[in-house]
Amino acid sequence: MLKKHPIITFIFFGFILFLISNRLDELRVYQGATVAVYAIGIASLILLIGYSGQVSLGHGAFLAIGGFAAALARIHYEAPVWLTFVVAVLAAAIAGALLGLAAARLSGPYLAGTTLALAIGLPSIANQFSIFGGEQGISFDIGLPPASLGEDFTQYKWFFWISWTVALITLYWLRNILNSRYGRGWRAVRSNDVAAELAGIHVGRNKVLAFTISAGLAGLAGALLAMTISLASPGVFPLALSFSLATGAVLSGVTTLGGIMIGSVTLVAIPEIALAIANRYGSETITTNLPGLLVSALLILTVLFVPNGPVEQMHAKRAKRGHSSHSPVEISVRVGSKTWSTKK
Amino acid sequence: MKQFLDMVLIGISAASIYSLMAISMVLVWRSTRVVNFAQAGMALLSAYIGYELVARVGNFWIALPLAMILGAAFSAFIEFVLMRTLQKHSAQGAIAAIAPIIATLGLLGLIRAGIGFIWGHADVQIEAPLSKVGFTFGDTTIVMSPMGLFVLLFVIELMIIVSIVFQDTNIGLALRASAYAPEIAQLAGIRVSGIRTLGWAIAGAAGAAAGILQTVNGTGALSPESLEFSLLLVFGFIAAVVGGLESLPGAVLGALILGLVLAAVQIYISGALVFIVAFLLLLLVLILRPQGFLGSKAGRRA
Amino acid sequence: MIRINRRKLITTSAVLAIAALTVATVPAQALNPQMADPGITASTIKLGITSPLTGIASPGYNKIPGAMKAYFDYVNTNGGVNGRKITLVSKDDQYIPTTAVAKANELILRDKVFALVGTLGTASTKALTASTQLSKRGVPSLFVNTGWSGFADKKAYPTTFSILPSYQMEAKIMAKYVKETYAGKKIAIIYQDDDFGRDALAGFKTAGLTFDTYIPYASGSQALPATGAGWISKLKTAGAEVTVLFGVTSASTAALANAYGAGFKTQWVLGSVGGDATTIAATNKAYVPLLFGAKGFSFAPAPTDTTDEYIKLFQSIYAAAQPTQTFDNNVVAGMSNAFLVVQALKAAGANLTRAGLIKVIETKGSTFASPFLTPLGYSATAHIGATGYWVGTYGPTGALTPDGGKYTVYTTDSGTGPVVLSTYTRPAMPAKGL
Repeated sequence: MLKKHPIITFIFFGFILFLISNRLDELRVYQGATVAVYAIGIASLILLIGYSGQVSLGHGAFLAIGGFAAALARIHYEAPVWLTFVVAVLAAAIAGALLGLAAARLSGPYLAGTTLALAIGLPSIANQFSIFGGEQGISFDIGLPPASLGEDFTQYKWFFWISWTVALITLYWLRNILNSRYGRGWRAVRSNDVAAELAGIHVGRNKVLAFTISAGLAGLAGALLAMTISLASPGVFPLALSFSLATGAVLSGVTTLGGIMIGSVTLVAIPEIALAIANRYGSETITTNLPGLLVSALLILTVLFVPNGPVEQMHAKRAKRGHSSHSPVEISVRVGSKTWSTKK
Repeated sequence: MKQFLDMVLIGISAASIYSLMAISMVLVWRSTRVVNFAQAGMALLSAYIGYELVARVGNFWIALPLAMILGAAFSAFIEFVLMRTLQKHSAQGAIAAIAPIIATLGLLGLIRAGIGFIWGHADVQIEAPLSKVGFTFGDTTIVMSPMGLFVLLFVIELMIIVSIVFQDTNIGLALRASAYAPEIAQLAGIRVSGIRTLGWAIAGAAGAAAGILQTVNGTGALSPESLEFSLLLVFGFIAAVVGGLESLPGAVLGALILGLVLAAVQIYISGALVFIVAFLLLLLVLILRPQGFLGSKAGRRA
Repeated sequence: MIRINRRKLITTSAVLAIAALTVATVPAQALNPQMADPGITASTIKLGITSPLTGIASPGYNKIPGAMKAYFDYVNTNGGVNGRKITLVSKDDQYIPTTAVAKANELILRDKVFALVGTLGTASTKALTASTQLSKRGVPSLFVNTGWSGFADKKAYPTTFSILPSYQMEAKIMAKYVKETYAGKKIAIIYQDDDFGRDALAGFKTAGLTFDTYIPYASGSQALPATGAGWISKLKTAGAEVTVLFGVTSASTAALANAYGAGFKTQWVLGSVGGDATTIAATNKAYVPLLFGAKGFSFAPAPTDTTDEYIKLFQSIYAAAQPTQTFDNNVVAGMSNAFLVVQALKAAGANLTRAGLIKVIETKGSTFASPFLTPLGYSATAHIGATGYWVGTYGPTGALTPDGGKYTVYTTDSGTGPVVLSTYTRPAMPAKGL
């Protein structure tokens, strides 16, 4: 039943989250909403890195575009909340398509550097036009939770519900896309673009499409982030955010969506862990520097020893024991009548 | 006319620092096919080491070469420990293409946290050893100071040394051979791994010089979060790409183009547009002339 | 086909996420209106501050929480406020709004502070006020350290109180001074191209001051030293005799250093945000002498003015608490803020509640004792703090001293009201400064 209908897994997961939201105290609910935001942001990078072989170090720029677009739609057109999210996705996707056109021609490091330059340059655009509110930014207020949910229903629980509903729908949709013709095309392009081209896959178009969708999802994450903190401003989307998302994607494992919670929970949990350690040893130096140290050390260790992510690693181990497979993942792509495989 | 002269001098001063950074990125790229996104972080660390040396030795002129040597040693160490392990473990799968990028990103984080632990978050200063007041001719002062001139001459001299080393000793050829065809290079008797480490070491020294000279030529202040170093990375990268990422003279040319364009924007339009113009320049070059101004054709998609 | 069992993985991660989220789960807290407000007991009051202790905006500002703590400790050793001792929980938000919201949530929901005090940065304060729903929770946010006039608006920010004069007030007072003192000269302005700078431009316009040269710079950019050379080249070409600088400290540092490098002389008139000598010194001590002769604006007594009873008291408290730190205007700002918090708590009486505290500032706030040389504007309709500035000149050590040896204070509003000479005389300091 579950195997045939993955949607049931998602609904079940959603129900669990609903139960959790009623049990947790408000601070955890707020942090839980942040986890959902990160999950979407990380998913957008997994799609980009793991499936289409392109890398972005400046995805925060697309979150910013989404966040500002949603806030502007709300302020100037009083758009309903769901519509602001749609606007965010579209705005970021259009920007992504434009950059994607250039990106499709670039290999890894060039693209990484270009996106990095974008993330640094974008805030100064925001400061050029007064509708973006400069350094102070613009408010993004989605209003109070519906009265029908009761007096005790807090704003953060409302954010939590919205974020997770959006996140689950997004992940479900993304999972289907990745298992579709498109997903197979991306994987083929990533693994070997010459082979993919020979197999009749249009490499350039595939890469642009992946970049567009990824940017759109990032925009959605940006709108949700702006919602949880009620503000879109250049400072909300610093370079550090872009780096955090890249870190989260690698910790989750870029080859599958399965590990996505590992990265998103880690990003939220690390400062808490650092704080706990600092409280024990009572040092301000530790509180300030430990989160960065832990995240960076984890990142390097992951890249060195679990490069494809913990989930993939577990799988590879099991596969090794069972079928003595060479490659950590066996991918076989059938396009038309041709079959292409990583299996030796 | 006066403004034009200002523009040229401001552009050249900025370019001299960008070109150091671009050179170190090109060297790392040529030796290991990696763009080191921790390059500016390593430069920052070297600048802190420079600060510590100036404080202990008390002489900038001794501290600068010492810091460059230490920067080279650190860079070689990173190649030896991090990059070689990386090659062993992450050479295949989806991660292979981005593993070095992510690893250098992690390194950047480690360096920043490390600096925070050691030196704290308050700014520290390196005093400029030379005057930063511009030279005066008659009653006009130009925007080129003894300090700025030193930086310029230093960069030119470094360029000459590096070019000589590369042209007369075949190290440059060995570097490229090791990166493109390691097996063949090995067969031809090149100690591939040693050559790669050497590439990183020279890059580390150039980066250290960039970090220290940018600091003393700028405000003199250093902090772990210094955005100036992120900009150094981005501008260095843009300069390297404009020049072709493969070529050392290209890196210098790229830095000059970038420096002059940005100076012109500042003086004739608005300083607020600097970042966006830099980004557009990068995109323009990548789209119109992806191999850069002095790069070979096949570079971009390697 | 792709042979990965995705469902299992998703289930695994679901379980993992649940596990992670339920760690440290506390049963949902029942709201009990009968209970006293959080953060107070019969013998304690817990306050919270989030501000940049690290990051780009931290130099100078990172002294504020320490200064506040020092003053609260002084009050505690003298018996506290109505028998209650004050504790201050300080968090670092790195000047990033997202982090500020996270830290404010920790303060309100985990540390359960009674009120927020002295939060810093317009974007951060805006974000945390809206996201944590300070007004719905009724959490007082006392004396936010930003000059954005919006926080004085009681309707939009019912529990938030400003302390600094607004940027418009400052610009109007600067305009009056510049017009009267430098009539007929070529005047230029360097300003931050965002709400902060544009607020000021609006103020200059209201006061009827137009400039010969306008030089905007992008906000949020710490790479100002790189662009500073361009400003000076423009100023030189324009022949600016007087240059008003309404920007952040890194901008004034860049402007002063590049003018020095280019051998360019102009009469600098610095806004209060960018004219902070300590912050300039934190970048590089060598730049402080460049301030010499520049005009500056302040509303608190000068930190070097040891004839002032408040400064004398603050100096002795700070010297005991933080012997290695220099006493400067950031310390004065922090201590004055803490002093006003204590005045408000004292006035709210022994039966302390959040609503009562807000009420008492609205009704009696304008009569509180304060170190400031300008009147306080608190009322039932507006949450405005200090309302004016005095003009001074920077000395070679970066100390701002009033022109003519005494504080000449101008006062105005954030709208179109005139700039007038203040007739306010500061009430005497309460005994022992408590």
